[in-house]
Amino acid sequence: MRTAAKLGTVKRDYQLWLMILPALATIFIFNYIPMYGVQLAFRDYDFSKGLTGGEWKGLFYFQQFIESYLFSDLMRNTFLISLATIIIGFPAPIILALVLNQIRRKAFKNMMQTTVYLPHFISVIVLVGMLNVLLSPETGIVGHLMKAIGLGHINLLASSNTFIPTYVISDIWQHCGWNSIIYLAALSSVDPQLYDSSKIDGANRWQTIRYIDFPALMPTIVILFILSMGGILSTGFEKIFLMQNALNLPVSEVIATYVYKMGIVSNQFSYASAIGLFNTLINFIFLYTMNAISRRVSDTSLF
Amino acid sequence: MKKQIITMLSLLVAGTTLLAACSGSNEGSASDPGGSAGQSGSKVKLTGVIVKHPLTKPLAEMEWLQQIEEAAGVDIQWQEITADWGQKKGTMLASGDVPDLFVGPNVITDADFAQFKGLFQDMSELIEGAPNVQKMFEEKPETKQISTQRDGQIYGLAKYQRFWPDTVNRQYINQTWLDNLGLEMPTTWDELYDVLVAFKEKDANGNGDPNDEIPMDWSGGIGGFFNPAVLLGGMGIKLSSDVSGQGYFVEDGKVKNFLTDARYKELVMFLNKLYKAGLINPEVFTHDYTKLQAVARGEGDIAKVGFTWGWVASDRFGEQLAPQYASMSPLKSSSSYSGPVSWSYDSYTLNYGANNIVMSAKTKNKEAAMRFINELYKPEIGIQVLFGSIGPNIEDKGNGSYAVLPPKDAKMDPGTWKWTSTWADNGAFYISDSIDLTLGKDMQEVLTQSEPLKEALAQVDSQIDIYPGTFVKYTNEDNNAMSLNNTNIMNLANTTFAKWVTKGGIEAEWDAYVKESQKAGLDKNVEIMQKYYDEFVSKL
Repeated sequence: MRTAAKLGTVKRDYQLWLMILPALATIFIFNYIPMYGVQLAFRDYDFSKGLTGGEWKGLFYFQQFIESYLFSDLMRNTFLISLATIIIGFPAPIILALVLNQIRRKAFKNMMQTTVYLPHFISVIVLVGMLNVLLSPETGIVGHLMKAIGLGHINLLASSNTFIPTYVISDIWQHCGWNSIIYLAALSSVDPQLYDSSKIDGANRWQTIRYIDFPALMPTIVILFILSMGGILSTGFEKIFLMQNALNLPVSEVIATYVYKMGIVSNQFSYASAIGLFNTLINFIFLYTMNAISRRVSDTSLF
Repeated sequence: MKKQIITMLSLLVAGTTLLAACSGSNEGSASDPGGSAGQSGSKVKLTGVIVKHPLTKPLAEMEWLQQIEEAAGVDIQWQEITADWGQKKGTMLASGDVPDLFVGPNVITDADFAQFKGLFQDMSELIEGAPNVQKMFEEKPETKQISTQRDGQIYGLAKYQRFWPDTVNRQYINQTWLDNLGLEMPTTWDELYDVLVAFKEKDANGNGDPNDEIPMDWSGGIGGFFNPAVLLGGMGIKLSSDVSGQGYFVEDGKVKNFLTDARYKELVMFLNKLYKAGLINPEVFTHDYTKLQAVARGEGDIAKVGFTWGWVASDRFGEQLAPQYASMSPLKSSSSYSGPVSWSYDSYTLNYGANNIVMSAKTKNKEAAMRFINELYKPEIGIQVLFGSIGPNIEDKGNGSYAVLPPKDAKMDPGTWKWTSTWADNGAFYISDSIDLTLGKDMQEVLTQSEPLKEALAQVDSQIDIYPGTFVKYTNEDNNAMSLNNTNIMNLANTTFAKWVTKGGIEAEWDAYVKESQKAGLDKNVEIMQKYYDEFVSKL
């Protein structure tokens, strides 16, 4: 019965299906087909026999990873960096969107928006290069500023204490404006009559935000939060890798960079895929739990 | 407003999808037009990858290379790689889409041969058609040993470059600064400390600014070339860069690792003392190579760095400042130390190389590829691969004697010119001991600046005191185990070393660190290497 109904929609809405076809194909080719390589994590990779030919090793590589002396450090660093990025980085675009929404002069608002979007388009390599130059205690402008206000001689990129704040703050600076777009879109769907009537009732700006804007944003916030939970262990590889140096390595070595060092540099393909798979598994558990909680609490959920 | 945003969003989504789709397939296709054109005088088309120095000019402009391609009847389409080969290699090999020839220093490692079975050509039979390679094997049996796997296959050919000194590292101090301040050349660590303090506190370079001197600098990290690990020689540790990059060395017939040795602890404490006193460049662990190089080259006649390590003075400090620096003898760890002092012995690493040219098993015309390799290993070609073409770079003086010419551009140092003109040390070649070649100024400089180290190096028995890393062939299993362990060991060593030098705390953390290193597999690796060392020594 239901299949018949589904086929009916295909027939009826074939234009829509056609339009979505390229997207489906992309997802299938790039996200589903490679999944077959996952079995590499359970096998001893043998080049001459291909992906599926190696000897079956079961959970050997997972065990090797969990027993590895780096395991606890890697997990801690990955969690810390991801959590810090989410907890501090997540609210930032919401606040920015609420602020931008309050700006009345259109020209000024547009200019503001463009300014905060721009950093998003800087490539990671260039960005890290800029960080290196700006934060250098000898020659950088931030280094000089810190010296001027009496913070002394600190190399922000070369200390295990300052690495995470530097990472998170530079991340917010880069992406906050861009991420606020979606919230601005949500805000633009608020019925203007609501604002008008709230003004008549004597609401001030703060109250408009509190009682109109914020509730309008809530579903978007929840969905995006669930999505970001799924990425809790997949911290951005490139930026961390580029920012790594011997001095911040105790806090900057995360699962992604370790997988790279093992898999690509040391040719331990099976081991690296086991670590990668482990990482994905934990992401999935997080995503699923957050989704379940949110469904119970607020009736908003992904699935 | 709403509409605008939605339009914009959908455009963006479409844009990113397109981008994602494109970036998925950026792997260049190494097309193989095939060796089918081998007959009737027309040239055989081959493909090759070369890992070359970023300065090196395009291969198409190298006269000697055009000549031997002509002589071998091949036309090689080269892919020239100057950076990140280690990363590119993994993906290239895993895809199986490989060129016919690979050239570079250890361009494909023994570990890769083990991992990618069947991808590379066993050349042991083809060598019959390569008299020049055979000649090298006869004249220098070591090269055969280096090229041959445990089971007798030859996947990669060695190189021999003959002229290189016994060590990679030379230790430099600014003699002008010593003279300016009326100081003696230091001979122990403590004296070095005092000298560096004087460099820092007084205006050693005499430009009126007492704060712009950097007493000591190196390129960060521990182990490998040009860094403080060589100071361990002051306590009698005989290093060899074959394996000392990961801390291994041999002492009294036992393979050991200095990373968990009490003497290393002493060294780190000394470096921490220097760092605390502000004698080491504060950016030592974060600056990159270009910056390191730029700092040491100072400003005009004003030097900035007092004490450091390098290959030759002209390369490390530039032609203008090089005369200010003196090459030093190894320093004793303390005035009370009475044992022998040593230095890093790297003759094997410098003069021999493993797997400098490798052939793919998929090559359609293997004979043609071998013809090319044979041409490459001709003695008269060898010097050109190393120093540049006869004509612009090398003078042919007749009677089989040659001389390396000075750079055409007077501003360029000879070392840089060599790297610019030809494959240089990254090539695959053989220079027979019988060929008569007068070296260039830079090589003579290296040999002169190695003089102060001669005494220390002379007491190294290269056969017993040095781990024969260049000659040893591991089994697949050992190779894999060692590479995994070494990645972990160095991860730990690099972070703790940087931390201990800059912040101290080694005394409190030492025991835990030694335990961690063992967990990371250090003992296992020492055990494996001991096995191979014993086997090697027993055959002497």
